[in-house]
Amino acid sequence: MDKKIENPSVPAETVPAAEEKSAAGTGRKIRMPEMLTVSPSPHIKTPDTTATVMFDVILALLPAFIWGVYVFGVRALAVAAVSIAACVGLEAAAQILLHRPVTIGDLSAAVTGLLLAMNLPVSVPLWMPVVGAFFAIVVVKQLFGGIGKNFVNPALAARVFLFSWASEMTAFSADGERVTSLAPVLTEGDFVASATPLASLKAGTLPSETIFDMFLGNHAGCTGEVMSLLLLAGGIFLLVQRVITWHIPVAYIGTVAALTFLFPRYSGMPIESMLYELLAGGLLLGAFFMATDYATSPVTPAGRLIFGVGCGLITVLIRYFGTYPEGVSFSILVMNLLVWYIDKATMPRRFGGKSNGK
Amino acid sequence: MAYTFRGGIHVEEYKNTHRCRIEALPAPEIVTIPLSQHIGAPATALVKKGDPVTVGQKIGDVTAGLGCPVHSSISGTVTDIVKKTAQNGFNVEYVVIQNDFKDTVCPDIHPVSKKLTEVTTEEVIGIVREAGISGMGGAAFPTYAKIQSALGKVDKLIVNCAECEPFITANHRLLLEQPASVINGVKILLKALGVRTAYLAVEDNKMDAIEKLEEMTEGSKMISVKVMKTKYPQGDERQLVYALTGVEIPSGKLPADVGCVIFNAETCAAVYRAFAFGMPLISRIVTVDGDCVKRPRNILAPIGTRVTDLVEFCGGLVREPKKIINGGPMMGAAQWDTEMPVTKSTSAVLLFSEGFGRKSVDTQSCIRCGKCIRNCPMHLMPMYIAQFSKIHDLKRAEEYGAMNCVECGSCSYNCPGGVEIVQHIRVAKAAIKAEKTRLASLSQPEK
Repeated sequence: MDKKIENPSVPAETVPAAEEKSAAGTGRKIRMPEMLTVSPSPHIKTPDTTATVMFDVILALLPAFIWGVYVFGVRALAVAAVSIAACVGLEAAAQILLHRPVTIGDLSAAVTGLLLAMNLPVSVPLWMPVVGAFFAIVVVKQLFGGIGKNFVNPALAARVFLFSWASEMTAFSADGERVTSLAPVLTEGDFVASATPLASLKAGTLPSETIFDMFLGNHAGCTGEVMSLLLLAGGIFLLVQRVITWHIPVAYIGTVAALTFLFPRYSGMPIESMLYELLAGGLLLGAFFMATDYATSPVTPAGRLIFGVGCGLITVLIRYFGTYPEGVSFSILVMNLLVWYIDKATMPRRFGGKSNGK
Repeated sequence: MAYTFRGGIHVEEYKNTHRCRIEALPAPEIVTIPLSQHIGAPATALVKKGDPVTVGQKIGDVTAGLGCPVHSSISGTVTDIVKKTAQNGFNVEYVVIQNDFKDTVCPDIHPVSKKLTEVTTEEVIGIVREAGISGMGGAAFPTYAKIQSALGKVDKLIVNCAECEPFITANHRLLLEQPASVINGVKILLKALGVRTAYLAVEDNKMDAIEKLEEMTEGSKMISVKVMKTKYPQGDERQLVYALTGVEIPSGKLPADVGCVIFNAETCAAVYRAFAFGMPLISRIVTVDGDCVKRPRNILAPIGTRVTDLVEFCGGLVREPKKIINGGPMMGAAQWDTEMPVTKSTSAVLLFSEGFGRKSVDTQSCIRCGKCIRNCPMHLMPMYIAQFSKIHDLKRAEEYGAMNCVECGSCSYNCPGGVEIVQHIRVAKAAIKAEKTRLASLSQPEK
């Protein structure tokens, strides 16, 4: 936007005598410049950038991720490293090929990479995060115009894309069985597969873990989804930093809580059933970190509430009636597609206007 | 509880000069006075090259339509009348006057001899017009016309001393050092309008000024001080009226339509001076600040003083400026001319070095964080309007409320993506206006 316009009052070669005077005290002559920058107001801005926002998200995710590495072993770290490197690398490559400015410095690709890794089981072959990164960054993000233009959450879209390899995606290693092998593809002996709490609920039994274990992350699942306590802490950090607003997480988690309490799958114990539903299946990770993704969530407060309720409703419906035990990823992706319409329907009442958007 | 509105932002205040007393600038050697300083018709020069002029002498006037006269701020000789491109893009005539340092005051200048109780509304309007007073807050609407348009419609007079723009402390110092002139100006305006209620709206970052004003207005039934929350854009007239009265000015209407009329604090003081001394508006308080200025100051500068003279009075520069801003950093305009003169609406001159107050990155991409929507004092969806503006979809830009934008810049200030949101909206607004004018001209039968 900055435009340089030649200063008409200053001849190109000479500097007016009045401006030749030295700045008092400094002994240094500082002149008025020959060219001034003419750019639109405002002339000052907050130092916050996309990068600082994304850095906050990474900070908020890290504790839960580190816990995942502790629970599932050092291989989780390798999966994340591959995923982040692939996302950042592919973003740069795509932008170079598309003749766009390379913007990996805004850290958004790194966030996608970290989220993708946290949404994968520790035992996935190492080529899978690369394929996922390609789908997330190149197909979903860059081909649709880059940051802010993607129509669905890239990390979630990649995760669902990777369900093409269903057995790898659903082989969850048991808690306490840390996977230390860094081999690109694991064989059966390398880890002990285990049922996730949601799979147990689907089968009509209460999970074998206690609710306390659920809370502390001692159960099978994807790397980043198990540690409820740290995910909550990260979510609260984002709220305090005003990176996200309360609307989506509260509406999302509240809807799931209400529905699973009123219609418990393990009837007779509605509170326990509700708590298992809330603490399992990546609901907290989804509600605080994925559903709140800026590009794919509504921008108005009312829209965010509708979005959260919709996510909650679809999550419960899929969990209860679908063949797959988890519903968070799918619900968010479905709601992503409605964002434009939700925004339009919830246009704020204008100052001095009559009603919705008028 | 301080009065406020919904939306808006907290900006870094940079009120570095709030302790700097108003200092009168010794009359500069040369002044260049633009004949068009505000909305309305440009004034026609009444002097020609070589004419002697005196302090307060009328040098330009408007014969028909909206506009007010222009006066010489120094005594001396007219050396030239030049045409230059002004900030609004039009060619404007500037009267260049060489100072003779005699400070001869125009013989026509004399105080109003009548008592305030005997002065009629028409007389006040006439005096205000002859004194060339226009709004000194930034928008610079001719004050006499504002009084005329408010007559019989308003029951509240609001004095805007919010001064919500960063850096500027000109009003703050005026309220501290010359509160009587502001209050006396308010009394004159109240009399002229036949209104019995006046609010002095001051942000709560100026508690010393608030205390002073409360002391001065103690026992007054008509004038009261209202403490406003420090928030940008508190000084926007729509937000000010809403904060004080709870009434939203409907889209496309003016404060007078909801019974309010708003004057800037310094405008009130100028009205008072026109009465008490007969002195037209020939000088104003300018905050000179920015990271390039050695000693930031509040300067009482003659209209037409060039930036270079102001900077010299402030001890010169400490680094090379890249941007010179006429007004505050949020809504002021960047200048391309280091010879830019102080006009009736120049509340500040800011000199910023390369990169001051800017972000470290230059890419502009909306990440849809929704901050602009949360902050918009007009409750619009700035990022959507900006996107429609970018693809030149004027229909939808208008549908999303482009024309309601007050261009306060809260959206651009807080945008992490670095998008110049308000500028995109300005482009859309201008294009919508132009399109409407074009359609209107098409529907007129050709002559």
